[in-house]
Amino acid sequence: MNINATFFAELLAFCIFVFITYRYIWPSMENLLEDRRKEISDGLEAASQSQRKLEEANKESAVILDGAKAEASSLINQANSRADQIVDEAKDQAVEEAKKIKLSAEADIEQSTNKAKDGLRDEVAALVIAGAQKILDKEINAKANKDIIDSLIKKI
Amino acid sequence: MAKENAQNLIETSDYIGHHLVNLTFGWCEKTSSWGFANHQQEFFKGLDSACKVSEMGFWSFHLDTIFMSILLGAVVFGFFGLVNRAAKKGVPSKLQNFAEFVHEFIASAVNSGYHGTSKIVGPLAFASCLWIISWNLMDLLPVEMASFFGHFGGGFNYFKILPTADLNAPLALAIVVMILVTYYSVKTHGAGGFLKELFIVPLGPLEFISYVSKHVALALRLYGNLFAGEMIFILIAIMFGQFAMSFSQTLWFLPGLILNLSWALFHILIVALQAYIFMMLTIAYLNLASTKH
Repeated sequence: MNINATFFAELLAFCIFVFITYRYIWPSMENLLEDRRKEISDGLEAASQSQRKLEEANKESAVILDGAKAEASSLINQANSRADQIVDEAKDQAVEEAKKIKLSAEADIEQSTNKAKDGLRDEVAALVIAGAQKILDKEINAKANKDIIDSLIKKI
Repeated sequence: MAKENAQNLIETSDYIGHHLVNLTFGWCEKTSSWGFANHQQEFFKGLDSACKVSEMGFWSFHLDTIFMSILLGAVVFGFFGLVNRAAKKGVPSKLQNFAEFVHEFIASAVNSGYHGTSKIVGPLAFASCLWIISWNLMDLLPVEMASFFGHFGGGFNYFKILPTADLNAPLALAIVVMILVTYYSVKTHGAGGFLKELFIVPLGPLEFISYVSKHVALALRLYGNLFAGEMIFILIAIMFGQFAMSFSQTLWFLPGLILNLSWALFHILIVALQAYIFMMLTIAYLNLASTKH
């Protein structure tokens, strides 16, 4: 219980420990906690912000998706109509071609018919002349009666 | 039988006395030299003086108090310093969590109790609270342990490991608080205002008496609680001593054990509470000193 010089030693030691706390422990602890507090609030802020961004992005992606869908369906429609058009065109072309082929075939047929007619006519004329010659026997000259024969041929 | 009882009584009072004397190094008038008090130690040969503790004057040091308090301070503040140095910004480690918890606890006490601008109050509260707790915790170690290791380790016959039970230590803390309170009072109210408050308004010199006594009480409250606690531990330890003395008193062992355990459990409360009270009163006194009223 006796107060003695120990008191001064304790006084000095206490001052030193308070100084150490004041200089090295207390402020760095305060800073650390302040930094942590800030970090956490920043983190929460960032989290809510990214949540908001996510919602925006979701909305945006929905809009883009709708647009893409619309575009795709319009493309499909376009493609369908174009295909129809191509088929129609092809049909038309085919019909045209068929017509052409038919016409030329008809022309061919007519031509060959005419040719055959001509040939037949010539032959018939020759046969008529030969027949007439036989009938008239030598008297009738083929050249003198050419007009009559030609008119006969024309009648055929 | 009567003789034996008297013998026991002497041994008991010796035992108590032995546990209440500090390892003292001081100025011996008789031989005009510095040295340890007589028969206190054999570790430092040739440093013994002829004086007893009671014969040494003011210029003596309780080396056990000084050694233990500085050791405990180094451990406690070293721990906080190292944890701080190793602190990382991200997820805190468990030790760091603990340090931050302690810091937050004290900082919230300071923030709610102190409304001035001084930057020293927080560190002062932190240092005093933790230092006192580390001192007080020494009370929970078995009373015989220090003596045992003292003898075992080479000859300290007297060694008190509880700095709080030496009035010098709590008084030093209280005086530092008193100096700071005086400083901030003068700073806030001016020297004249402060003196007027002490001696004239409102109750004359009574204010001065209360001013001095509240600071002395700050030290004595802490000292008294821990000294009494230590004393009860010593008295309980005597029961175990009885056990060693004669077989017929073996029965003392069990109540001794139960009492020691229950007092230790109760004492944990005192250990923390007294440190807390010291800290809160420090904050309150400094708050009164540095706010106008």
